Amino acid sequence: MTIGVLVDLMLALALVGLSLRVVTGRALFRDIVLFILFGLVIALSWSRLGAPDLALAEAAIGAGLTGALMLMAYRRLVAGGAEDVAPRRRPPLLAVPVAVLTGALVALIGLAALGVERVPDAAGTIVLEELGASGLGNAVTAVLLVFRGLDTMLEMAVLLVALLGAWAVLGEVHPGRLHQVDRRTPLVGALLTTVAPVTLLIAVHLLLAGTDAPGGAFQAGAVLTGCGVLLVLTGTVRPRAAAGLATKLLVIAGLAAFVMIGASAVALGRAPMSLPGTWAVYLIETAMMLSIAVTMTLLFARARALEPERA
Amino acid sequence: MSPSASTLPGDWIGIALLLLGCAFYGAGTAGLLRFPDVYSRLHALTKADNQGLLLVCAGLAVLARSWRVAALLGVIWLLGLMAAAVSAHLIARHARHSGSRRTSSEERP
Repeated sequence: MTIGVLVDLMLALALVGLSLRVVTGRALFRDIVLFILFGLVIALSWSRLGAPDLALAEAAIGAGLTGALMLMAYRRLVAGGAEDVAPRRRPPLLAVPVAVLTGALVALIGLAALGVERVPDAAGTIVLEELGASGLGNAVTAVLLVFRGLDTMLEMAVLLVALLGAWAVLGEVHPGRLHQVDRRTPLVGALLTTVAPVTLLIAVHLLLAGTDAPGGAFQAGAVLTGCGVLLVLTGTVRPRAAAGLATKLLVIAGLAAFVMIGASAVALGRAPMSLPGTWAVYLIETAMMLSIAVTMTLLFARARALEPERA
Repeated sequence: MSPSASTLPGDWIGIALLLLGCAFYGAGTAGLLRFPDVYSRLHALTKADNQGLLLVCAGLAVLARSWRVAALLGVIWLLGLMAAAVSAHLIARHARHSGSRRTSSEERP
């Protein structure tokens, strides 16, 4: 497959070139756009490496949501009087040895990785052998929820801590409009009425498909966040000063579902974090999807809670 | 993509559609880089790239030889069309409100 090698080579060169431009560029807006592009090329690379789950997550979270967050931050920076183009500064002297040593380290790891022999009973092999016992068809979902559930639970904790940290530094929220685009513009109204339900459909599909095919709570949550971002930008929802009970429950749902099912396993005399069946996988994934979507939308909106805007 | 034993005549139609789609994308990108003002650049992007997306989707549908995949690609094309239409509309609106002028034919180099 020579054309495949050519595509891989192009992707690798694009990654190196884009990352260099993102790091060395001085025009803020262009760097953000290039970073989004970088995320898309990473997503393509993951799919070329045969990891569609990661490709989906990277495209939705790495390129889409992170890009939206950065553009929002850029808006605030520029509105606050920041300059788009940073002045040229001499790099510190330490930069050269750090760059050389980092490059050497990466090259060393790469060379070592080339020489590594395949371990016969690596964790991945065991997962694939035991996949049938997990009742799931998608090895990635099986690892995330069944084999390494503790890691995923802690990821939800990290997300919760991130939101709490953002809330701590948020200061006073002025309940009011946040939107950038008037939703009464005919085309924007049409986009909302079509795309909002479609994103819901895609999110639920990704969640259900995740047990047997690429997809899962993270991808579904990211797509749902896209819907949330759309609602925030069009002013369909507006920030509220304080989080109500519903918001708090939604934000901790993912972590709580994990903890309750994982701990009840101990109470019932099974191994900690072991799941009682496929229904538990669906339950945890649904809770995770909701938590991810609500947390990310609140981070994007810079709000403690959101409520519908009465037209 | 070298012709192999499994390549059907229909596959060549799919490949031709893909290449034609790429040509439209190339034209749209050339327009984005070369046209003088926001409006004509948007024109190039929305017209040529949506046509390119249609051709790429059609090519992939022919290659996939499955009605289900073809229908899904059709939905993808419609969603892409809608996203392009709305974002181009918003960019043009913003450009007009912030006073970006159309370059007249005399001013063009």
